Amino acid sequence: MVSINFISSIGNSFKSAYNRMPSMVVKKDNIINGVAYIGRKWTSPQQRLILGATAIVMQPLIDWNNKHVDEKTRKVSVARTCAKIIAGTATGYALRYGFIKGIKAFSKPLSEVPKDAKPFAKKMMTWLTPKNMDPNDMDALDQYRNAMGTIWSLVAMVFTNFLIDAPLTKFLTNKFIGYQQKHEQKGEIKQ
Amino acid sequence: MIAPFKWFTKSAIYAKYSKDPGNMLVHTGVIGWFLSSAAQIFAIAINDKISKKEKMFLIPQEIADAVVNCVSFYAVTNSIKSVGKKLTNTAKLRTPAITKLLEERGLILKKGAERAKDKIYAGDWNFNITKLDGYKTDIESTYKPFNNGVEVATGLVGSILSSNLITPVFRNYYAAKKQKQLMAYSGDKPNAPVVMPKVSLAAYQKLAASKPYSGNLKV
Repeated sequence: MVSINFISSIGNSFKSAYNRMPSMVVKKDNIINGVAYIGRKWTSPQQRLILGATAIVMQPLIDWNNKHVDEKTRKVSVARTCAKIIAGTATGYALRYGFIKGIKAFSKPLSEVPKDAKPFAKKMMTWLTPKNMDPNDMDALDQYRNAMGTIWSLVAMVFTNFLIDAPLTKFLTNKFIGYQQKHEQKGEIKQ
Repeated sequence: MIAPFKWFTKSAIYAKYSKDPGNMLVHTGVIGWFLSSAAQIFAIAINDKISKKEKMFLIPQEIADAVVNCVSFYAVTNSIKSVGKKLTNTAKLRTPAITKLLEERGLILKKGAERAKDKIYAGDWNFNITKLDGYKTDIESTYKPFNNGVEVATGLVGSILSSNLITPVFRNYYAAKKQKQLMAYSGDKPNAPVVMPKVSLAAYQKLAASKPYSGNLKV
């Protein structure tokens, strides 16, 4: 069929263009080490923190320049966006970090369990250790702990989102709205 | 065990994510955004300091946020992460240590050298470093840390773009449209004052006289 030939010819052109592109060799050791560090250490808590930090810079600005709604709604929207980012990042980071740390205590490889540990302590220390783990690959075990901790923190978030995030967002939103109104009265924020 | 629960066993999580931290960040990120949005909708609904009119904007904004965020987070983050993975997998982006290992195997096409027919070189679309003979023993320890780092970094760039740029722009547009629809439905007054055309008494009388039986109004 013509259409399949056409698509496959585009695909082949793309592949040959990719093949002709020069390869990029990263030569600086600090960049190579930095990239490896990111892969090893930047897990979900760090990701949540970075997302939150960039969000507080970018999202209120987008909401402030939203011309589709009236000014009052826009101001409430900015206040709520800021509140949501602060509350979400704080609880998201704390939960992920806490659970990953906690999981580490319960997922020790047998080599790290003290020989004189009592059966119950031994069982607890290896409670979450995967049976299929590679004892020679501690990095893989760390990544597993990150994944397991993040999954557990997501389960906890089902509750904390309602018990902490939502009331905290409401509290902060009202604080920011109050701040806006106070400064509007003083004429510091443009109407 | 019931199928979905099998995905969350210790062994399944180890097998899936211990070698692929980038994927874990994307998958848990999508679930995290979904849960967060559900709570935020609840927060707006219970906030009595936000007026009904503003809620009409904020609730659809949050629903739009959840949908766009989950879809764009998965699609954009995954796409950008795949680009990073493709670059390292094909050794188009590599370190000098990886270059040395590939050179020893004659897989690097030197500058100005003739390309052998049917041979796949490092940096080609169909090249896959993980499929090379002896990958586990000779290459993985050098390649994996760099690949994981690139995957996590590109995943992070994708998630920043999707969550902090694409989502707010789309959700604002959608929510504003939805607010107007909901306000029209509830009979609330639109934001901008509606300016009615001024009609003089003479013009009105003339109009009424010209259409004595129009519609329900009978003059």
